[in-house]
Amino acid sequence: MIADKIGLEIMSNRFQAIVDEMAQALFRTAHTVFIKETQDYGAALVSTRGEVFAASRRYGVLMMVGKPMDDAIRAMGEDVREGDIFISNDPEATRGMATHLSDVYLWTPVFEAGAIICYLWTFVHMTDVGGRVSGSIAPSSYELTQEGIRIPPQKLFSEGVLNETFLKTFLANTRSSGQNWGDMKACIAALNTAMRRMREIIARFGAPTVSKSIDDVLNYAEAQSRRVIATVPEGVYHFSDFIEGDVAGLGLLRINLTLTVKDGEFHMNFAGTAPEVRAALNLPSFSKNGHWMLVTGVVNWLCTREPSIAYNAGLVRPLKISIPKGTIINPDAGAACGARYSTSHKVCDVIIGALAQAVPDQLPATDSGQGGILMVAMPDPATSETRVSVIQPVVGGSGGRPMADGVDGTMVILNFLKNVPTELLEREMPEVVIRRYGLREDSGGAGRYRGGTGAVIEFETHSPFSTVTARNLERYLFPPAGRQGGQPGSTGYTLLNPGTPEEKNIGKIDILQVGLGDVIRMGTQGGGGYGDPLERPPEQVLSDVLDGYVWRSSAETAYGVVIAADGVLDVAATQELRNRMRAARGGKPLKAIDYGPVREAYNALWPTELHDAISAEIVGLPRVQRQTGHQALYAEIGRRLEAGEKVLPGQVPMIYKELREHKLMSRRLARPL
Amino acid sequence: MSEPAPRYRLGVDIGGTFTDVLLFDDVSGALTSLKVPSNRQDPEQAIITGLEALRDRHQIEPGKIGYFSHGTTLGVNTLLERDGAQVGLLVTKGFRDILELRRLRLPQANNLYAPRPRALAPRRRVAEVNERMGFDGRVIVPIARDDVIAQARALFDGGADNIAICFLHSYRNGDHESLAKQWILEEFPGAYVIASAELWPQQREYERALVSVINGYIGARMGRYFKTLKEKATAAGVGARIFSTKSNGGVMSVEAAGRRPVETLLSGPASGVIGAAFIGHLMGDTRLLTLDMGGTSVDMALINGEVPYSNENTVGDFTVVLPAVDVSAIGAGGGSVAWLDAEGVLKVGPRSAGAYPGPACYGRGGTEPTVTDAYAVLGIMTSILGGEMRLHLDKAREALATIGTRLGLTVEQTADAVLQVATANIYAEAVPQLARRGVDAKDFSLLCYGAAGPTHSFMLARELNLRRVIVPPMPGLLCALGCLVADLRADFVRSLWHDSRAMNDDQINATYDQFSAEAENWLAAQNVDVLERRIVRSIDMCYQGQSFELNVILPDGPLTIAQIETLFHDHYERVYGYADRSSPLRILEARLQVIGSTRKPDFSRLRPFAAVSGGEPVTRRIYENGEGGEASVYQRAALAPGFRFEGPAIVEQYDTTVYVPAGFSATIDRWYNIIGERTS
Repeated sequence: MIADKIGLEIMSNRFQAIVDEMAQALFRTAHTVFIKETQDYGAALVSTRGEVFAASRRYGVLMMVGKPMDDAIRAMGEDVREGDIFISNDPEATRGMATHLSDVYLWTPVFEAGAIICYLWTFVHMTDVGGRVSGSIAPSSYELTQEGIRIPPQKLFSEGVLNETFLKTFLANTRSSGQNWGDMKACIAALNTAMRRMREIIARFGAPTVSKSIDDVLNYAEAQSRRVIATVPEGVYHFSDFIEGDVAGLGLLRINLTLTVKDGEFHMNFAGTAPEVRAALNLPSFSKNGHWMLVTGVVNWLCTREPSIAYNAGLVRPLKISIPKGTIINPDAGAACGARYSTSHKVCDVIIGALAQAVPDQLPATDSGQGGILMVAMPDPATSETRVSVIQPVVGGSGGRPMADGVDGTMVILNFLKNVPTELLEREMPEVVIRRYGLREDSGGAGRYRGGTGAVIEFETHSPFSTVTARNLERYLFPPAGRQGGQPGSTGYTLLNPGTPEEKNIGKIDILQVGLGDVIRMGTQGGGGYGDPLERPPEQVLSDVLDGYVWRSSAETAYGVVIAADGVLDVAATQELRNRMRAARGGKPLKAIDYGPVREAYNALWPTELHDAISAEIVGLPRVQRQTGHQALYAEIGRRLEAGEKVLPGQVPMIYKELREHKLMSRRLARPL
Repeated sequence: MSEPAPRYRLGVDIGGTFTDVLLFDDVSGALTSLKVPSNRQDPEQAIITGLEALRDRHQIEPGKIGYFSHGTTLGVNTLLERDGAQVGLLVTKGFRDILELRRLRLPQANNLYAPRPRALAPRRRVAEVNERMGFDGRVIVPIARDDVIAQARALFDGGADNIAICFLHSYRNGDHESLAKQWILEEFPGAYVIASAELWPQQREYERALVSVINGYIGARMGRYFKTLKEKATAAGVGARIFSTKSNGGVMSVEAAGRRPVETLLSGPASGVIGAAFIGHLMGDTRLLTLDMGGTSVDMALINGEVPYSNENTVGDFTVVLPAVDVSAIGAGGGSVAWLDAEGVLKVGPRSAGAYPGPACYGRGGTEPTVTDAYAVLGIMTSILGGEMRLHLDKAREALATIGTRLGLTVEQTADAVLQVATANIYAEAVPQLARRGVDAKDFSLLCYGAAGPTHSFMLARELNLRRVIVPPMPGLLCALGCLVADLRADFVRSLWHDSRAMNDDQINATYDQFSAEAENWLAAQNVDVLERRIVRSIDMCYQGQSFELNVILPDGPLTIAQIETLFHDHYERVYGYADRSSPLRILEARLQVIGSTRKPDFSRLRPFAAVSGGEPVTRRIYENGEGGEASVYQRAALAPGFRFEGPAIVEQYDTTVYVPAGFSATIDRWYNIIGERTS
């Protein structure tokens, strides 16, 4: 299958050099905050079949492999010439290459003797692409057209000539036209750099060798991926988790996975997943195999198992995906998708949850699950113009790992975000004072390997008419789960004016108006623990207590470790307490997954079969009926369950019928937005 | 103390295994070099051993040494090995976790097992003080002595050896830090206390705190070391002042180094680049890609007219914002292990066989095939250390055969493939590094050094399409040469962070005037005659609302804001191809570097090698490009200026083996450099 086992590594290094140079050129030439600080850009080399055969692991986002370019290529049509540069941000026309309008893609074909050898591809997350809010993304947007201007695939350059009409039209529809054009120029610079290099290697090695090598590197990654997957016991594994849709007036939204491991492949069936929503949480994946926003968990697992694995789309070939149309991860046309990151991260959690049942000693406990961005907008007292600034990314701790504690204050999955120095922030936003920014003590789940602690940020606004917005807030209701006897971490919270008589727990923020002197404190989630906390060496627990990661009280209650008032370990008392705690377990095995009491109570009330029955009832319905049906069924059944009534899965069709006939206009059906 | 007429200049580079001693005779132009084993316990001992050897073997009296500069890895090793002092850190209330949160981003991508970063001062030794400055330097919460003393006491009681202080916005108003330091010293006389704004007053609390904490972490040991060195060297008869190299490629007195050891962290790689730049300068070649290849890694730097600096450097897990010579490291070297993965694909590295057991051909029990084994099998190398150590060809062949049989290749073909893959690895790392600096490699000469640099460089030059290769006469001693030729050099920074339109000309001139005064003081404190003093003023700026800054060099004389703005726009346009001249600008950091040029050795009569009898060149069977052939083999010391030869050729010398493949021709220039150029 791989013809040349020496040439492969040499060509693969060449491709890697080209794509890293390309990413570097983009980074160096662009200058917007999204690119510099959050690294939200990417570069890739793409095969004629639309597979990414090289992507940077050093620069930019780490989610390039598995971007499906096949439909974007198809949409270009037949009239493709040397010097053409294409552009698109349209999730629908590209069928899942773009997954929200803010990501704008530019690409160009590489020709040799009249035939296309491959494509060079870039994208940047633009500061603004128009739409109803500044920055284009708001969780509460409910249709794609609210989120900005849509660009179906078309030529930005025709044989090297810029389509100025298009450019003017596009830029006129955005709030940051100068920056956007700057970002586009950065992409073009990157494409030019890569074109030069690609020409060099075609000249040196010849087009047939280059084409053959493209196939080879993809096949190579596939072979590696299949070999690693083949080490997983074959079988069928189920897992589900919930997106907390409360921030958009929706309830819990289930992501449901049946993972079948067979013949070196993962078959991921998402039947039973919640329908698409009238909010920006939809993820337009088009159910494509190996789709980049669905498989982050598996790709990370593969790269962890095999650090030298070839990093390209061959990796995701064995990842087969099946998602019913009309669900939140495969919505119908026109669904809003700006804030789809929460959904993507939840899918990642669900896949890790399923895979962890097959290979429990290879995957971490659940992490904070929140990739939030906290922003503030306030009027400049001098000019009255509104100024917007990112306060911080609000992320929480990693889950405990099978051989190490979780990372405190940040996740290993979403690990490329950078925070903003307080000194810089206060200069940029003189009306904001950061009162506290640090770790959230005692928030990581207890375990043989402790979950990473969350973080706390507290700030005060000294300006009237300030607006605080946040997106991608998650796990305020159900904490990150513990694994293999590890305990769950802590849920997130937001307090308004903490420690005052006006203190208010306000939950997730969508858009919050605050005034002069208001204080907001946000605590992010601690990750779940891994393994039995009673097995954690007492010296490590003591060390955690001395460092304040764990409080003395929790050392006792969660770890069975007794520490005297003078900070010295009480060995005898610890031994005795641990014995008592073990005895109290009554020989029951440790939980493979510990969701925590809130979710467990919820699970007890809402058995899987009930979710499945609701899902089955609405799955084939037209969009609006599916959405209202989903909301109404959950509202009605929830009301009955909470009232102590028993609802059997078999009753769901009858309840739906009743709802349709009598109660369809229930207030919870479709929230007017 | 009366100094005897100085005649010699001494450069010493203390490495992990060996200490290189390089002595230049100002009178005769002769270079004398020595290698003595390094001493981990007492690093200064190697220098003393070297001085004794110079006296006993070469009749060089320590008293005749007029200039003495050295570099040590003590600081960086203390940091990397994490066996430094227990630093206590005092911070502003609410910000205990400066070191824990870092800048969030983790270094390893796609790794679920990415290590949990470990702070240099654990959380238990970080205490909060109830004080607060505003961003504009105004006091929001005043500081109280009792509070400071109580927190400091708690840190000392908890085992802190010293205390670093980093309060928010101290770069703007350092009063609270100074007060706290003063109070602690009053209460705990003799304590070692570091105030962050005093050490490096740059905005960004994490990075500033880190500079102070690292200084405390390595400070006591470094201070002791410099003191002992000075005592022992004086006792040995050295009368010259002793200098230490710095990360910025300059030198400072050992007294200054003892106070600010954090400035020595990256001095090792920096010295090599300074040595390389010196050679380039002699030759009139100022566009160099320097490549230092050793057993485990390759260090690269790009000299484009000037030695490159970076203000964001990495040492182990830490970012260090002090200016340093910009060097990138790649994990590939002569010891890199070749292996086949589960799919049977040939890989080289990143694992290295290290110094022990080392490559199979060293005959120290290593069985894994390495890059050096490939050199041996192909006939490029038959011995090292100038023939002192024969390589075990049979062991190299045996090791490479383990993978060769599985690839279905002969041992020679396997060795050839290993070198090709190793070269491709370096290529893949080097290309984006060059891109980061916005240059095209083909305009540059490759200047190589280190034990494996001259062996591998021609192969890499071919791959990178570089115009020529320069192999200096003593490739193993370039760091020591760097120590010999470095200038006195110090950096100063002040964070301004103002919109340019909100600043007036007087403010900016006042800032630089104050700097200049500090710079003069620093230079005076070094207490050495300099040939020339130079001041390089520069400023970091960006467009408002963007975070991508550029460093702009400023002209001498009084400045105006309008002039600075124009300079920025011009520079921006050069770098990015366009500039928005109407956009408002922000002034970030004002920077100043003072340089006191030291007298350089006069290499016009350089005699790098002791005279050897020329002897007839011999030939050796080598294997390249898939077939066997004959290569001429030369002894480096016998190659005189003007000599010309064609590849394939091998040049043997004590510290390396130079491999000039077919397709290159080489000449020896008047400074004894081998200059290789492509003929095909």
